[in-house]
Amino acid sequence: MTAEDKKDEGMPDFSDVQSGASSTAPVAKVYETYEVKRGDSLSKIAKHFYGNANDWKRIFEANTDILKDPNKIFPGQKLKIPAKQ
Amino acid sequence: MKKLAAGLIPLLFLAGSVACKKSEPPPPPPPTTTTTLPVPVGVLAVNLGKEIGADKRVTAPAESFGMKDTIYASVETTGAGHAKLRAHWSFVKGDKTAKVDETTIEFESSAPAVNEFHISKPSGWPKGDYRVEIFLDDVVAPVMTKSFKVS
Repeated sequence: MTAEDKKDEGMPDFSDVQSGASSTAPVAKVYETYEVKRGDSLSKIAKHFYGNANDWKRIFEANTDILKDPNKIFPGQKLKIPAKQ
Repeated sequence: MKKLAAGLIPLLFLAGSVACKKSEPPPPPPPTTTTTLPVPVGVLAVNLGKEIGADKRVTAPAESFGMKDTIYASVETTGAGHAKLRAHWSFVKGDKTAKVDETTIEFESSAPAVNEFHISKPSGWPKGDYRVEIFLDDVVAPVMTKSFKVS
């Protein structure tokens, strides 16, 4: 259990929150941050954020600085989730 | 007496020439090169609202929202260069907090800019207290925090 999970005990569920961002300046990137939980896979995370498990590659490519193998993600890792296209 | 006068005349000329010699003008100061370093991006203001205009500013600032509202945080920045702005939204209940969302935007700014973050929840926001913290680049502490309510 992560420290964040502990803080969330007995709190409402915000898993269906939708978000976004934009700027008047030229934007390089927009992404959400997602903390990996036990039982997660990139496909499962892609399904949650994009509605399509096959979009896992987008998440993998945005996180090659911390992920070397798309099948190996660990609870507590903070992944960048690129904004929906 | 003549000898004395003859001896004094060259001395007087010498003294006169020294006294009348114009002083050399001071050398001009070396040219100063003014290099204006770009001011790094800083956060000027954060405003919350239910709608934004084309300029990314909230049309009417608000601190209280309904359960079905989309909540916007408009962040005005100054300075220029590459910047990373992160909005961390939380639900606050007593001394407990729950993460609602965290979104980051990276941009290249050459002038003051306005950036917007927004969140919505199709099933409706739980009533209560919330806050959004704005972080700049990789600084650990938020540069600005705004609290709001859903009722």
